[in-house]
Amino acid sequence: MKRRRMNQVPLFSSAGELANMLVTSNLIEAAWAKIPELQRGQSALPSSVQTMVDHPTPNSTIVVFAPSPDSTQYPHPQGGDLVPYPDFDFLGTKECPSVSINRAALTLFESLKNHLSGLKTELNKKEGQLIITGHSLGGSIASLFTLYLLNSMGKERKCRPICITFGSPLIGNFGLQHSHWNSFFLHLVSDKDPLPTLFLPSGRSAPTSSHSQATAYKPFGTYLLCSELGCACFDDPDLILKVLTVAASEVAGGLLQVVDYGEVLRNLKNRAICKGPQLAGERFAYPFSDGIVMELKTIGIDAAKHNIDTTRMEAEARTLAKKTKASDAKELNDIKKYMVMLEWYKKKSNEANKCYYDCFKNGDFQRDVRIEEFMGQLTTYWEDMVAQAERKPQEEGASFRTAWFQSATTFRRMVEPLDIAIFYRDGGRDYINNGRSPLYKLLEKLYEEAAKKPTREGPDSKNKVSVLLTDDSCFWAHVEDAILSCQSLNHANSTPEQRESSWKNMVEFGEYVTKQIENFSVSPEIFLEQSSFMKWWRMYEASIDASGNFYTSPLVNFMKSHKYDDYGLPEEA
Amino acid sequence: MGETVGNLIGLNDEVIHPAATLAVEAHNSPSKQFLVKKIKIRHDLSSVVVLAFSGSMLPEDWFGQPPFGETEIDTGKFPSLTSLNDGGDAVVNGSFLRRFNDVLDKLSHAKELKAAIEKKKQVVFAGYSSGGPIAILATLYFLENQTLSPRCLTFGSPLVGDRIFGHALRREGWSDYFTHFVMKYDIIPRIMLSPSSTEHKQILNYFKSKFDKKNINPAPPSGFYHTVMGNASSVASYEACHLMGCRNPSLDIIKSFIKLSPYRPSGTYVFCTGNGNLVVVKNPNAVLQILIHCAELGESNTAEVEKRSLDEHSAYLSELKECLGMQAVVSLDGGPATATLNDLGLSPQAMLCLQAAEEFENRRSRNLEKIRKYLEKIEVELQMLRKYKENAQISRLGYYDSFKLQNEDDDFHANVSRLELAGIWDEIKEMLKEFELPDDFENKPEIIDLGTEYRRLVEPLDIANFYRHSKDKETGAYVIGGGPRPKRYRFIQRWLEHREKKPFGSRSESLFWAGVEQLGIDIKKKKNLQEIKDRIRQLERNMIAWIDVDKSLDKDVLLEKTTFVKWWRDLPRECNSESERIEKLIGEKAAGV
Repeated sequence: MKRRRMNQVPLFSSAGELANMLVTSNLIEAAWAKIPELQRGQSALPSSVQTMVDHPTPNSTIVVFAPSPDSTQYPHPQGGDLVPYPDFDFLGTKECPSVSINRAALTLFESLKNHLSGLKTELNKKEGQLIITGHSLGGSIASLFTLYLLNSMGKERKCRPICITFGSPLIGNFGLQHSHWNSFFLHLVSDKDPLPTLFLPSGRSAPTSSHSQATAYKPFGTYLLCSELGCACFDDPDLILKVLTVAASEVAGGLLQVVDYGEVLRNLKNRAICKGPQLAGERFAYPFSDGIVMELKTIGIDAAKHNIDTTRMEAEARTLAKKTKASDAKELNDIKKYMVMLEWYKKKSNEANKCYYDCFKNGDFQRDVRIEEFMGQLTTYWEDMVAQAERKPQEEGASFRTAWFQSATTFRRMVEPLDIAIFYRDGGRDYINNGRSPLYKLLEKLYEEAAKKPTREGPDSKNKVSVLLTDDSCFWAHVEDAILSCQSLNHANSTPEQRESSWKNMVEFGEYVTKQIENFSVSPEIFLEQSSFMKWWRMYEASIDASGNFYTSPLVNFMKSHKYDDYGLPEEA
Repeated sequence: MGETVGNLIGLNDEVIHPAATLAVEAHNSPSKQFLVKKIKIRHDLSSVVVLAFSGSMLPEDWFGQPPFGETEIDTGKFPSLTSLNDGGDAVVNGSFLRRFNDVLDKLSHAKELKAAIEKKKQVVFAGYSSGGPIAILATLYFLENQTLSPRCLTFGSPLVGDRIFGHALRREGWSDYFTHFVMKYDIIPRIMLSPSSTEHKQILNYFKSKFDKKNINPAPPSGFYHTVMGNASSVASYEACHLMGCRNPSLDIIKSFIKLSPYRPSGTYVFCTGNGNLVVVKNPNAVLQILIHCAELGESNTAEVEKRSLDEHSAYLSELKECLGMQAVVSLDGGPATATLNDLGLSPQAMLCLQAAEEFENRRSRNLEKIRKYLEKIEVELQMLRKYKENAQISRLGYYDSFKLQNEDDDFHANVSRLELAGIWDEIKEMLKEFELPDDFENKPEIIDLGTEYRRLVEPLDIANFYRHSKDKETGAYVIGGGPRPKRYRFIQRWLEHREKKPFGSRSESLFWAGVEQLGIDIKKKKNLQEIKDRIRQLERNMIAWIDVDKSLDKDVLLEKTTFVKWWRDLPRECNSESERIEKLIGEKAAGV
């Protein structure tokens, strides 16, 4: 397990310190305080979960969910199956597009929906701190309600929410690992409490031979795992699941007992300022894995016995540690730099009376080699951004994309023509169906979706055309295909059917270009003498002339009358 | 080993015990604000003047506004106690600051102090218990004034300032002048890590009756230990999370629900282990961890530790006598020394925290190394831009306007250099904001000089780029507080202003072009004429001062084809205040003088 190379910097696991900070502050106590009261009180709702709202200070709100005093303490283990719940598909990610929720929790949540929807409206107006808390199944409702609330609040939250549950079972198949929402959830679980592990394979159902039996449940948020000896905070879903599964198998044999989390907290608070077991003070050679092993031991888990892979966890931590605000700042400036390089390339090409597309395709300039390097860097960057967005729940992913989608569009319009150039240079045909990368397809889809919204301004100003990139990043692919069609039209061996189809393609392409010109959405550089587009036009013009019929179209008129000379120039006042 | 405490803290060993004695005496003489004593050093016959401050156990002299009684420091008196990168001013305990202000007048007129300054004698400010904070603030006050270079010794002092306070001390290179002696279990050095509470009052009352000697054996309070140490432990764990690079995103959310004490240790700490050994620690993060972890409950029961945490506050003189006699001293910096840590009785978890504190410093050194490697690259890019600027004079356009036009290959290369440099300085800026570079980074002359040259040479290009793309239409003018001006320039400007002890915002010569551009736009918009006239006059006055007086603005702005000269010549004459001088400068530049 100990494979840290000498040149690697030591990492640490802060699971124990985070837990210590939590139990020595009074946040969790404040969240717990109202629960016993609610559990003992009168049932106000005809449901097995009761709820109340309180304001401990003028600027804070606490919403409490607890099982009714008259309800049976435990839901039936058979309530453990997962039911698809499309209402929560806003949590869906690419990996897990449809969301399922534990049947017992869902039934309860649905039965309270009327009440909760009113509560949601009320809380949406609140400012300051908002604690949503619950015990056992009440905690499941607290979690579901928090998600429901977060979704309705959108990006502009007035208040600062946190959801704290005590001994609640897992509730669904969705993960929130890549979502900002993940940080709003804190789940306390005592190793003596059978409830959180109720729906896990080796829980109260007959113990199975294998602990590794897959479960569809996914923990989310941070788990504060407690034992008599201490506590630790983990947010790694695999590790949490593993710890819960181990606990499930150990609790399974014993009697069902009700855990008093107030008592658990008092004990932990005392533990926090005790030195704990002392060893001869020695430096830790592998602080990360040694730390995790100690932390797991505190919560009653033997890392070696249960095959807990600290190497994987350390590798993941290492990847995360590399990404800092400082490295992000550097990367962002590099990306800008690459775009400036490409803009310059375009400018230089135009000065030589060429399109940058053609220059690149023909390898006209010395610096073309580096252009491919910049393309690679930019593509990697945007692929990463898209992947990050896809790992987030739909809504959050969408607002993340809004932040960068303008730059992504500029990237697509600038770089895709270069990819098209490579494709046709290497003898490809029909780029759109055979060569287009998923990244461009996705970025274009995003653009189209955003363009539908009325707020977006289109490039409507004629005067800006000269500095613009061509809107349709596949423009050159259309040009190349048109050239190929034109060649086939003029080819001596072509059959009449081939000619007819090529002619049809030509007409369609002409209509397409006309539309682009009318909307001022092509860059004027396409009319430069040596561009592939002009090459096509000369071929096309020749074949019209050769055919002897006086075919005409708006494009033919536009081109023949040299109207393109004025295209994109500022209008005379 | 073999080092004495004196060596490690840069003070003669013979001074320490007499200073402690005077500090305890002063603390218990509330009628006098401070006591002064000259201490002779035997081996070289020199002498040291010690000033020790009186104390107070009244709760209002410890905690003002609950929960923590903190206040922003008066930067008029303490101009250095601030962050140079948006972290705000240092925060100190308001009651201690008030008590310092009460004593300041008398202190600055003390004849013993004047004599010591005259004779260039070493001055030591000392304080025991609540006298400690006054000694700390007095030392800082004189360091700021540069009238003398005092040392500070405290014994069982409560914490005074926050993280920025300690950061500023280390940035200025003053941290080593402060030495704090702390007994292993003494509750007072830990008390400020916990919010003010009835338990606090009980502790202070207990000591008050003890020191007043009205009641020789007052009944000790009980039950305070869990409150104080629990809250202190929360602070230590929060800081440990940062040291350990906690990647759990909930940390920030949780922190926003918890009010932690702002106070942090600064200076050198000397821990008395209780068996005659001394542990000297300078790493402030390690100090905080030891402060909490060594006082944790061990085998003995709470009541015993609680009693010890009170008793030890009154045991400095006897303990120091023993320790200074034995001189069994270890320094923790450079890695935890195992044997000593056994004396402090640290748990494995505490050991991990110390290792993380050490690693944090290593990380900062590594980041500094990384930046040092960048410096060469910065120099290469700056050299290119210097040449670019030089060449742009030939066309009489100047590099600002040439860059704005972006017509030539050189303009493009300059733009690439601009982005290259922006990447490096933005990375530095982010590291500073996260305290990921050594504290004295912003005070290193070579860094300030390089940054200043970068700012003067390259910020005009950022301004040119900004107005070339008419970005003011989206974001407003380039220079408005917290506006589009890149933060890297603001930070670098502050470094220089701080070094030159000039007010914030006074070194804005690199913003010259932004002023010109924005005035041009506002004149076209026909904004308030009087205000525009005032701004033009201000710009002219600044310009002349920058060109003539401190030469911080290059004369190439006066080239005849520049935006400035064209714009200035079009101005209605009544707007100008310095037209003759500027006309003359333009003429000189044209003539190549």
